[in-house]
Amino acid sequence: MSAQGDCEFLVKRARELVQGDLWAAKAWLITARSLYPADFNIQYEMYSIERNAERTASAGRLLYDMFVNFPDQPVVWREISVITSALRNDSQDKQTQFLKGLFETLPGRVQCEMLLKATDQCFNTLERAEMLLLLLRRFPETVVQHGVGLGETLLEAENIEDQESPVNCFRKLFVCDVLPLIINNPDVRLPASLLYKYLNKAAEFYINYVTRSSPTENQYPGTQDTSDLVSPNKRSAQKYIIEGLTEKSSQITDPWERIFKILSIVGVRCEWQMDVARRSFGDILLKMKDVCRYISNYDNEAHAKYKTQVVYSTMLVFFKNAFQYVSSIQPSLFQGSNASNQVPLVLIEDVSNVYGDTDIERSKHVHKKRKLAEGREKTMSSDDEDPSGKGKNRLITINATDLPNSVEVQESFRLARESWELLHSLESLDKEFTRICVSWKTDTWLWLRIFLTDMIIYQGQYKKAIASLHHLAALQGSHSAQQIMGQGSLENQRFLIQLATCHFALGEYHLTCEKILDLMCYMTLPIQEGAKIQDDQPTLKSKFRKVSELKLWPCTSKTVMPYCLRLLLACFKLRAFTDNRDDMALGHVIVLLQHEWPRGENLFLKAINKICQQANFQYENFFNYITNIDMLEEFAYLRTQEGGKIHLELLPNQGMLIKTSSPPLGLLQQEFIPVLQPSIQTADRHHTITRGITKGVKEDFRLAMERQVSRCGENLMMVLHRFCMNEKILLLQTLS
Amino acid sequence: MRLALSRVPVPVQMPLEGVACLQCTPAVYCVRLAQALVDDYCSLVPGSVQTLQHIFSASPRFCCQFITAITMLYDLSSDDLIPSPDLLEMVVSWIFEDPRLILITFLNTPIATSLPIGFLELTPLCGLICWCVKAPLAYKRRKPPPPSGALSGKVAGDSLGSCDRDCQLLYSRLHLSVLQVLMLLQGHLTEKNLYGRLGLVTGEQMASLVEDVRLLSDRLNPLHASKEIELALDRLAQVLQVAMASGVLLWTRENLRTVCSGLPHNNLLQLVISGPVQPPAHAALPPGFYPPIHTPPLGYPAHAAHPALPAHPVQAFMPGVAFPYRPIR
Repeated sequence: MSAQGDCEFLVKRARELVQGDLWAAKAWLITARSLYPADFNIQYEMYSIERNAERTASAGRLLYDMFVNFPDQPVVWREISVITSALRNDSQDKQTQFLKGLFETLPGRVQCEMLLKATDQCFNTLERAEMLLLLLRRFPETVVQHGVGLGETLLEAENIEDQESPVNCFRKLFVCDVLPLIINNPDVRLPASLLYKYLNKAAEFYINYVTRSSPTENQYPGTQDTSDLVSPNKRSAQKYIIEGLTEKSSQITDPWERIFKILSIVGVRCEWQMDVARRSFGDILLKMKDVCRYISNYDNEAHAKYKTQVVYSTMLVFFKNAFQYVSSIQPSLFQGSNASNQVPLVLIEDVSNVYGDTDIERSKHVHKKRKLAEGREKTMSSDDEDPSGKGKNRLITINATDLPNSVEVQESFRLARESWELLHSLESLDKEFTRICVSWKTDTWLWLRIFLTDMIIYQGQYKKAIASLHHLAALQGSHSAQQIMGQGSLENQRFLIQLATCHFALGEYHLTCEKILDLMCYMTLPIQEGAKIQDDQPTLKSKFRKVSELKLWPCTSKTVMPYCLRLLLACFKLRAFTDNRDDMALGHVIVLLQHEWPRGENLFLKAINKICQQANFQYENFFNYITNIDMLEEFAYLRTQEGGKIHLELLPNQGMLIKTSSPPLGLLQQEFIPVLQPSIQTADRHHTITRGITKGVKEDFRLAMERQVSRCGENLMMVLHRFCMNEKILLLQTLS
Repeated sequence: MRLALSRVPVPVQMPLEGVACLQCTPAVYCVRLAQALVDDYCSLVPGSVQTLQHIFSASPRFCCQFITAITMLYDLSSDDLIPSPDLLEMVVSWIFEDPRLILITFLNTPIATSLPIGFLELTPLCGLICWCVKAPLAYKRRKPPPPSGALSGKVAGDSLGSCDRDCQLLYSRLHLSVLQVLMLLQGHLTEKNLYGRLGLVTGEQMASLVEDVRLLSDRLNPLHASKEIELALDRLAQVLQVAMASGVLLWTRENLRTVCSGLPHNNLLQLVISGPVQPPAHAALPPGFYPPIHTPPLGYPAHAAHPALPAHPVQAFMPGVAFPYRPIR
């Protein structure tokens, strides 16, 4: 018998006994090993028995023996790779736990050697990196030798594999796992340029990770009014997974904290002027402003150092606070935001003073007219001015019930704006910041565009804001090309309402009106009138405040529609109360004044006054859209002797029948009658035509009034929505 | 005579510590004491073996001597001298829990060149080896007990068969423990520089065992007892090989061939007698020597089992290693 034959015989006998008498099997193997200590199969059989029975300690010892005595056996290597892949595995199953335990029984030196050798045998970059990471984590002294190499491999792999997003498995491993090991190890000394490169990579990763958009389905819960949101949000259950990584490995806690930590460490290592650790964003910003003041005094080397410090510190403060702001006003944009049932908010011009004193408005209007005469429109715009000097202290009102942490949000908005300004305050900073933005492709970041637009609106640069809004719309188009109308409507509403508010601020009332009427298409009806808009009566109306105020306004049909009606009123008000007679504008104003009645009572009385002065008034839509009992009473009274016997032409086809009254307007109306009066039944019209001319009119007015009183209970929002939808052409015509 | 072995462990300890130096007592008395204990706690009141179990925790040293005495007493030479299943199970469970138990007396006794005659042996090793090797044959030889009461012989035979199978598994476990202890001893002997100088199991004892096996297998009909004979010879071969390799039995292969010549044929025994075919590949190691790291993975202190290894995790820290990385650009 050969030695080989002996060993095979011994192992075979042992194997036969495992099932029936495990002890005997082990006795056979002990004997066999004592006869042939150099035979691998005998020891592997011993190991297999212990491993299959999951006896951690004894299996570990036998594995160690095999690792030491038979380092070249492929079977040993297969086993080691099984164990090391279990180490990288998050799974809690028994086998994985056993293998992890088995590895733990080995002496550290052997663990280290095993991991290194196992790494050598990995051909997949990701696996290799994970394996090496196991080693670096367990044995910090190996970081010096392998840390930077691993980091560079990962960054290279990212390029080779053409990763589209910076949030990919290679970058994640580099930024979250390898980089902290490298920069926290005092024995690893790196040149500043490399540290800056790593800081850049880390910042790009974390910002993109935090601001990753939520999956397209279920993206806009805010499009419906919040009251409709009874179903629990499903999104929280969906876990974000970075391709190539496990679910556990894809979850990153406190990403902002981590990037500021890295900033702080890099700062210390590069000997920056201040340690940013444990400082507030406000503090950092103040300090950076300080550094900026003296930055030009430094020589080249120090200048470059402090420039980098200012750019990276300020930039991170900027992105963090801009994100904070956008995620507060539109949480549904981001994945993993837990406040997604919060109403989305939109920054708009405050027009709550629209019901205000008309005299002031008139004098303003006179002023405006004079300006117009000079060929330059007086607007709220500051497009031509230096942006940094303007709009410094505009007040933004936020209703506490819409945004519980409004103070923090305002602070974030301020910090982001000021950081942005600081980054553009010096050419060298601007250049560096722009370079970083270009390399990160920040112009494709939808959320950032939302912030920038709001910032520009805040600065009062409305022309720029309009351009920015169009940029935003284009981004939204590419982001949500596949979305059906309903889901995209929040974005559309935001876009249109901000466009309207900008055009209004620029004095472009026709365009304002156009956008508002477009916006009306997105309203989900019915809206309860009773839904009280809480805002208003701006707390302090300082005479010294030159610029108008802004509002963060909930972006839902319930709130957008009232705002639109006010804005519309503001557009028509100016035209209605000019010295020139414009009954159409006045009529529209009266229709709009029904909204929030009786807040517009003063204006209404002003209008009545004007009608009395004119002694007649023509508005043929009157009975279609005016259902306010106070107004109806007032008009009924105007016709009486006591009321001044005002000549009122309020019925649809009066103008057609009585050719005498104000021909140009009448003609205009005739033209539009089929379009304007879809609600009037043809039988009615026929009925009027057959009547006697003057007598019939009088009778019709009385009947119409009576019928109108019965309509008083109609939902006013429905009436006004119909008004906007049906009279769109007429409304635009009035403002042209 | 009933020994004052209280159920309460504390009072038990005193008399037991007293008899712990059974080593100084002639073997005859020790065996008698053991006999008395077994009679009282195993035979007299069946089920009261639990009480005896306490000895293990109360005094391991006594326990070791007790086992030695038991193996001397029950030498399987007749049916009456087969230990009862309760007793067997107790002994096996003690040893399996901590095989060092077998070596307690040996490790705590100064090494003497020659042992006084007529006293208990230092370890129960030899007795246990005999138990394991002879058990298959002794149980086979045993006459079935006379059918008693209403039970038919068949049923009684069956229950006896299952009881025997359980006992055989116990012997198998005990045999493994013995082999493990032998390997433990190798490390110990090497450490004490006694390897190859102290035969803890003597050649005479083994020769006598081989003779008993030969007689027993001759007496049994080889046609009906071939499995039992093979098992006995397998165990004999295993224990001889491991004992020789670990330096506990100072025999050469030549001794082995001579002593075992009268035994029936057995493949493993043949293999052990002729020895490994080639010299071991590990030239650095003496033939038959197995490094102490291979001692069985039972609950021994790491330093005893793995004297060559530092307790992990010990990681060498290398602060002086220069940082090898140079930036590419």
